Amino acid sequence: MKLRLIPYFVKQAFQNVKKNRLVHIVGISTMVISLLIFGTFLLLFYNLDNWIHGWGNSFSMSIYLEEGIDSGAEKGLVQLINRHFPGAKIEKIISKKQAYKDLLRALGKDAIVLQGLPRNPLPASIEVLFKPLNGKRPDPFPIKEKLETFQGVEEVQYSEEWLDRFEGLMRVVRLAGIIIGGLLSLGVLFIVTNTIKLTLYSREEEIEIMKLVGATDWFVKIPFLIEGTIQGMVSGFISLLALYAGYAFLSAKKADILGLAILDFLFVPAPYILTIFLVSAGLGLVGSFIALGRFFKL
Amino acid sequence: MIQLFHLFKNFGPNVALQDINLRIRKGDFVFVTGPSGAGKTTLMRLMFGAEKPTSGNILINGINLNRIRRQKLDLLRRKVGFVFQDFKLLTGKTIFENVALALEVAGERPSYIRKKAHLALRSVGLGKREQSYPLQLSGGEQQRVAIARAIVNDPLVLLADEPTGNLDPELTKDIMLLFRTIHMKGTTLVVATHSRNLLEETAQKQIILNRGRLVGSK
Repeated sequence: MKLRLIPYFVKQAFQNVKKNRLVHIVGISTMVISLLIFGTFLLLFYNLDNWIHGWGNSFSMSIYLEEGIDSGAEKGLVQLINRHFPGAKIEKIISKKQAYKDLLRALGKDAIVLQGLPRNPLPASIEVLFKPLNGKRPDPFPIKEKLETFQGVEEVQYSEEWLDRFEGLMRVVRLAGIIIGGLLSLGVLFIVTNTIKLTLYSREEEIEIMKLVGATDWFVKIPFLIEGTIQGMVSGFISLLALYAGYAFLSAKKADILGLAILDFLFVPAPYILTIFLVSAGLGLVGSFIALGRFFKL
Repeated sequence: MIQLFHLFKNFGPNVALQDINLRIRKGDFVFVTGPSGAGKTTLMRLMFGAEKPTSGNILINGINLNRIRRQKLDLLRRKVGFVFQDFKLLTGKTIFENVALALEVAGERPSYIRKKAHLALRSVGLGKREQSYPLQLSGGEQQRVAIARAIVNDPLVLLADEPTGNLDPELTKDIMLLFRTIHMKGTTLVVATHSRNLLEETAQKQIILNRGRLVGSK
């Protein structure tokens, strides 16, 4: 292909868009809606993933102390924890008395079950939060083992259940995202294919004449491929703009989206934006390619 | 220039052409004639590569159209001009743009396209109407635009299928005069017509078809 023909092809593509603007407006609008649905999903997924990883990177442990430990030994233990684990933060020290009070409050009406007990059976405990070190979540198991070797420690417990549950949820959300994204991509492809098919039919006579005077198939096809790509790019751009506008509006209003407004709600980062834009342009290109394939078989 | 060997063309059960053998030399001006349904248009379309023969071979300037690849056929068409009875002009483009199209598809430079399209339109007497649209012109003028488009690439061969079929006798004479001028410049010309008046007035070679068979030549 002669490179000097590129401006000619681009000009032809823009002329096609102009001539069939109504078809393109309808096509672009439908594409924008589809991309916006996908973008919204991506935005929610991104933030959900962010929050869960934010929580998941740190974890807390309950260190149950031996019966009869005095406050001096307790302080020594706290110092030992701080010295051995740089990411550790003592959240709370719960005395035996406090633990009993907490349990009474938690049981409410059922607190009667505790009345028959000869003494307070609950141990004193220390709640420790382990923050990520160098951006990595520390492995809880060796920490637990180490802590259990300290004098005065009866037992150490940590729960990863909730994390596992969230990670399971994220897997489901990710899978749903792939399915929704796939279905929407198919929808977008269908829209572009039909838009380009309509413009092809509207220029059927011109294409026939071009072929009769010696145009190669590619000479005819290239402007339509550019046309589809333009449609994809414009749709991608508008949908991103609409997504940002929606995000900015909701952020400004501090709207309570699923009760998550208390958390930082971020816009999708640059690589996601670029991906949406490129995928949209790519779908435009592939859609017009499919339309042309069918048309040129006729 | 054009050679046909044992050419057959069927459309389903209908036989359009049977065993046509023909040789048209470089620089010839030939009429293909015969009654309606004789196979003239089919023969012209086969020579243009718009149809494939059922059997037999067609050689244009030594190139066998049966063995040519699709892309090569597109390139060959730039050297074979075709004039249609219904002109096949794009009504949404000016006549200049219609003529320029044949050069644009060949990837020529814009300055060359401007010069050649202008010269082609001037040679058919429409140099001053370049910015007109086809529907603003008479039938004869539209046919002249179609001829300008067919010759703008300096084709080796010009094929014309019933080019005067839609024109009155005066305009027919104009078009025939134009063809003679093109022929005198060295282009091989094949004109399909069923017009007896046209044939009576000419001394050019005639190939006569009837019911798909070559039945004679003058």
